[in-house]
Amino acid sequence: MSVSRFLRPIAVAVTASLALAACGGGEETSAASGTPKAGGTVKVSFWPDNPNFSCIDPFQVYWIEHRSIIRNFADSLTDQDPETGKIVPWLASKWEISPDGLTYTFTLRDGVTFSNGKKVDAQAVADNVTGWIETVKATNGAAFGASYIQGLTGATVVDPLTVKLTLSKPNSSFLQATSTTNLAITDPAEFALPAAERCTGKGVIGSGLFVLDHYTPKTETVLTKRAGYSWGSELSENKGEARLDKVIFNYVAEDSVRTGNLTSGAIDVAWPRNPFSPQDETLIEKSGKKIEERSLPGVSYTLFANTTAGRPLADKQVRLALSKALDRATYAKTIYGDGYPVVKGAYNSTTPYFKSQESKLGYDPDGAAELLDAAGWTLGADGIRVKDGKQLTVDYPLTSFVGNAELLQAQAKKVGINLTLRQLTPAQQATYLNEGSYDLTSTYFTRADPGALQFILNPDVANSKALARQSSTPDAVVKVQDLFAKALQTTDQKQTTTAYEDLQDFLIDEGITIPLNERVQKVGLSEKVHGFAFTSESFLKLNDVWKD
Amino acid sequence: MTAAVLPDVLVTSRRAGLFTTAHQLIRKPAFLIAVVYVLFVIVSAFAPTLFTSWEPYDTYPEQAMLPPGADHLFGTDVYGRDLWTRVLYGSPLTIKATLLALTIAAIAGLTIGIVSGFFGGRLDAILMRIVDVLLAIPGLLLALSIVTALGYGTLPVAVAVGIGIVPGFARTTRAEVLRVKTLPYVEAARAGGASWTRVLLRHILPNSWGPVAVLTVLDAGVAILAIASLSFLGFGAAPPAAEWGTLISDGRNYLVTSWWLSLLPGLFVAILVLSLNHISKTLQELTR
Repeated sequence: MSVSRFLRPIAVAVTASLALAACGGGEETSAASGTPKAGGTVKVSFWPDNPNFSCIDPFQVYWIEHRSIIRNFADSLTDQDPETGKIVPWLASKWEISPDGLTYTFTLRDGVTFSNGKKVDAQAVADNVTGWIETVKATNGAAFGASYIQGLTGATVVDPLTVKLTLSKPNSSFLQATSTTNLAITDPAEFALPAAERCTGKGVIGSGLFVLDHYTPKTETVLTKRAGYSWGSELSENKGEARLDKVIFNYVAEDSVRTGNLTSGAIDVAWPRNPFSPQDETLIEKSGKKIEERSLPGVSYTLFANTTAGRPLADKQVRLALSKALDRATYAKTIYGDGYPVVKGAYNSTTPYFKSQESKLGYDPDGAAELLDAAGWTLGADGIRVKDGKQLTVDYPLTSFVGNAELLQAQAKKVGINLTLRQLTPAQQATYLNEGSYDLTSTYFTRADPGALQFILNPDVANSKALARQSSTPDAVVKVQDLFAKALQTTDQKQTTTAYEDLQDFLIDEGITIPLNERVQKVGLSEKVHGFAFTSESFLKLNDVWKD
Repeated sequence: MTAAVLPDVLVTSRRAGLFTTAHQLIRKPAFLIAVVYVLFVIVSAFAPTLFTSWEPYDTYPEQAMLPPGADHLFGTDVYGRDLWTRVLYGSPLTIKATLLALTIAAIAGLTIGIVSGFFGGRLDAILMRIVDVLLAIPGLLLALSIVTALGYGTLPVAVAVGIGIVPGFARTTRAEVLRVKTLPYVEAARAGGASWTRVLLRHILPNSWGPVAVLTVLDAGVAILAIASLSFLGFGAAPPAAEWGTLISDGRNYLVTSWWLSLLPGLFVAILVLSLNHISKTLQELTR
């Protein structure tokens, strides 16, 4: 797995050794800049909490920021190397996969306990598996973890430290799944509580190097140091207790306020969802702070069309024309600055099995015009295309996740597509997908595995079933599910690779996914914070972090 | 003195009054500047091409975030659009919304005020308690809840702001009506056999809307600010159209690096509101 990194000029205050460390792989840390100190509180500011689903329960959360938090209070069976994508031991010291791919036998590390003192043993893991499966049933497949445990039927305890997980059909991404925050092992007592209650953090107890002190939705989440932790994975320099005493995560809506908090020293880490604007980057660097960045693996920032019959984008040619009308290079440069990577496919470039679709995603307004002409949309007097007296109007509702749509609108207009932007009220934001009252919407998903896209496009495990059904025609849904099945339900690495490559071709050729920009996680760091590292999913890893 | 002479005398004295008023106004340079600025904003709103050659919605990413200069009076925004042009093209939206809000407020306020003041009694008590309730709710909060119920856009914003300023109009009108009602000419008209409707429409209404007219000009500033606030919060017109508040809001992430994005549209609005305030204050002084 290649990690593309772009180092921006770093202010004078940062030492050369630090800069060197930052140039290196995601696993290298800046600990070299001094002797790690113990103690201290780090304040991290995120963008606003999930407006629709405030949750801190590992299995149910899909919110990237909360997965970052979870990573630091709940451990998983395995860990994934951000540099190579390799799965390495963590709570499980070793594992064995049966030749048919249906049985995973994990041998657990001895002496690991949850923060409430209970043992992390084979029974606890088996009970977690049962809990996951029940949660999927209870939430009708909407729990985010559902897409991670496809085929998982149960677990049996072989001996106190050996647990056997059984699948009904092979799942080639299951081992990677065991390394994610979503399959983090928690005290199984939590599964006795209803799914909604667990979301508040009630009963959520992990074995991580921090303890979830409290989660106040939309306000803050606080982690405190766990005494006696000694089972960090080999990917961390510091495998023992956390160096920080406390970490406070809060939610700041305004980008400028978050950046201002960082530059003024009110917080230590600014962790925006969308990359800093070039102006903010300059500001951060001028104030002597650092910026760390890594492409998020998973689905790129992508437009999904409503292909319901009668809608303008039901026509594949119109979708492809829209894709050709997008000048992605200019878009990336204008909004995120020089040197920002241009999207090359349905997935971000750090995703395993990524296949570049660059040649199909070039800016081609003439090609777009040809396609639209052929589809019967002729240029009208006001520059907007018309067919049977109807204007080519594409309704793109604006939610809190949509930004910079006006540039998109201007680009679409150049080929005669009238992209109308409609601001939704919070109530409408929660329902517009189900109502199907849109032509275009956008979303993305983070996971270091192509299976991430299932969470959007496969109606069986999708977060929004409506979005999954509307994004591709029924035939295409079957084809997509088929390709996912081919990629997942095998132990043959070659078949997985081929299927995922076919899938990426298919999605772009059919105009099911219209990628808009690569997603890069940028993080603004105070000069007092050292040892920063990203996980394989570009989440925050606090094991090596210390503060001056 | 015959009845025929009276109108002549009146007309002459009115003309003389107007003349002195105009003379007084001309001698107030601040007032003149304010009027010129307001006129400029109105003219530029309906004929923006007189003042700019750029298109408000065309993006030029290669010239994004340019500081104010000869080519771009207010600089350019994040997509390279000329901000001055965006402000001018944003004017009609805000002006229409303001006019609509004021019309709603004036009509509803006058009606409630006159009915309440003229008929008095229980009707007065009921109407004024409703007005009390509306006055008790902060205007912006009231407007926010109305907009959330109606949906986003220029029209809902105008309606919300209009409803928000009705109480002030109603109160002012009522006070005037109460004063005018007791004047001798109303009594004379009644004694002369005029009907209540006639007294209301011919005598009370024309004589009580003076302060309301001043209030309208004064509240134009309030309405513009309220509309800008609501569009700042994202309740205004759908993009790429931009009301003034939206422009100010769009620039708020770049306050430190590209201050002009928020500051210049903000100044444009602030000066307009100041001008309107000054005009209404001057008119108020003159009517005293």
